[in-house]
Amino acid sequence: MKVFRILVTVVFGVLMVLSCSEKQDFDQLDDLEITPTYETSVFYVKAQESLINRVSGLSFFTQDFNFDAFEEPFFADRVLSGVISYELENTTSKPIEISLEFLDENENILDTEEFRMDAAPTSTLMRDVSYGPTGKSLDIIKNTSKIRLVATNLGDGSSTSTLENPAIVLRSSAKFTLDLK
Amino acid sequence: MRLSNYVLLGSLMLTIGISAQNKQILYDFNEIPQSLSLNPGMETDFKWYAGVPLLSGVSGYVGSNGISINDIFADDGVDINVKVRERALDVLKPNDEFSSTVQLEYFNGGFRSNDPSVFYSFGGYLEIDNITFWPQDYAYLIFDGNADQLNREFDLGDLKSRGSMVNVFHFGINKKVDRNVTVGARGKLYSGIIDYNSTSNKGYLVNTEGQNNRIATTLDADLMLHTSGVQALNEAGDSNTAAAQFVKRAFFGGDLGLGVDIGFTYHLNERTTITGSVLDLGFIYHSNDAKGYSLNGKATVEGIEIDILENFGSLNRDFWQDLVDEVEGLVPFETETASYVTFRPTKLYASIRNDFGEPVDNGGGQLDCDCAAGSSGGGELRAKYRNSIGGQLYMINRPRGPQIALTGFYTRRLGNFVALKGTYTVDKFSYTNVGLGMNLQAGPVNFYIMADNLLSYKNIAATNYASFQLGMNIISWGRNK
Repeated sequence: MKVFRILVTVVFGVLMVLSCSEKQDFDQLDDLEITPTYETSVFYVKAQESLINRVSGLSFFTQDFNFDAFEEPFFADRVLSGVISYELENTTSKPIEISLEFLDENENILDTEEFRMDAAPTSTLMRDVSYGPTGKSLDIIKNTSKIRLVATNLGDGSSTSTLENPAIVLRSSAKFTLDLK
Repeated sequence: MRLSNYVLLGSLMLTIGISAQNKQILYDFNEIPQSLSLNPGMETDFKWYAGVPLLSGVSGYVGSNGISINDIFADDGVDINVKVRERALDVLKPNDEFSSTVQLEYFNGGFRSNDPSVFYSFGGYLEIDNITFWPQDYAYLIFDGNADQLNREFDLGDLKSRGSMVNVFHFGINKKVDRNVTVGARGKLYSGIIDYNSTSNKGYLVNTEGQNNRIATTLDADLMLHTSGVQALNEAGDSNTAAAQFVKRAFFGGDLGLGVDIGFTYHLNERTTITGSVLDLGFIYHSNDAKGYSLNGKATVEGIEIDILENFGSLNRDFWQDLVDEVEGLVPFETETASYVTFRPTKLYASIRNDFGEPVDNGGGQLDCDCAAGSSGGGELRAKYRNSIGGQLYMINRPRGPQIALTGFYTRRLGNFVALKGTYTVDKFSYTNVGLGMNLQAGPVNFYIMADNLLSYKNIAATNYASFQLGMNIISWGRNK
């Protein structure tokens, strides 16, 4: 056994002496950044003009929607910045106002996003809202538990657009950058 | 150069993950009993041998063909984020692997039958074997995400990984058929300790233009992970009985399997020999603490979709939770306890060897021992020559298809007490793999040590492959001079 130990020591000793290694710095791992950006749709709301005409009063639709996606710890603990992109299309014969209210768990309003569109024909309204260092506070996103949608008819309650399937459509998608490290 | 660096390097490399080791230096090195484990049909001339417990055969390798530790961790002033981007994400492909094997023989022996043409061998060893292929699209999803990549399909099949820790018992028979032919076979009993296996994944994740909303996100997944022994060892660890659980699973209390090795040696003429072997043709049936985790199905979502006219009567429902439930229903994550079978990574060796020079028995420098070539081999004796030169082929079945290595070698025998073998190997890890092995016979005590990819020792951190083998035996040829 002694011979064996000596031989192993000698052979590996020789290898160690003859071998070299450039200096390695494993502390570099601390500087590694893993900050991917993910993108997906958020919500889609469509209100047909026939429905708008059936509702009396200016505000033809008000509804709170539960929205826990932003509150999920995996997201809320890691989000660095983000952009929500809205796309509003109005093919009805009346001007429409849409208000999106971001509510926390106690239904306090954290932020409001308002859109106003003329009657058709009109171009699609596009809006990007940034959150994070160059935009609104990320706390709005992190604490949002519900979204309140308020749609208001600023026109009459009887006319109908000549366009096919007239409606007001709100589309949205989000891009968020997370810190996964 | 600091010793601590080597220790850290070695530790890191051993944790990277592994595949069964090409032991090209040990193969056809007939002076060493452990060469029988690579070719049960090797020519043997021992009367008996006994491996020193725990020291008869220790081997291991770590390989990563696409990237080295130096590529990422060199203290070169380059931002690690740039290095990860340029040397990993932009370079590595799904066929690039991180693999390793560690094998530890805890007992090994052999003896010649009353029929001198028959030699029996037996033993047990512990083998840890892992391989993980670079999960390219998962890496892109983790480092970059999926934003602004409409219609880009992220391939979920890029996840291919498997590993195991197995205790192997074996018994082999080696038969010298005639002067030119020796054949052998070895039966193996596998006792699986721990296993994980995720190699047949399929599917994709993609963002496309939505029908209603801006983006449609589609997940089409057929993912499966099998494990065995993980939960049992975890629970045992929590109750401080991990060692007992380990021993229990190592000695037939875990998963069981069967396998076979076969091999031959054939002399084309007095000095030219061909050999071949197939190893680990076998399977393990995982039935003890087997778990399966699957994600299977297809879902396309465009966020929360509310058509007020269509949903007028149910606008108070929880659209978000409904969306989550819908996705979980379409792509359910399920666990099961069904047994499963894994096949061992089957290996194939082949070689052609030409001997030349003086027979070692005729020269000087011999040790005064009972180790004359062929002294116990049965039948007509064959001389060993001072020099051998030849080529070897190695193939192994891996999750992404067979891998091949080609080796050229030269063996030099200095009397009966020292034999040296140099190799040059080409495989996916390296085109500059030069290896060297030494066998030392001091009376009945046999010691061998081998290492390859020696050129990489000029900067060991930059190597893509490093391996070693060493061992110690007591050998008798059954006669004394």
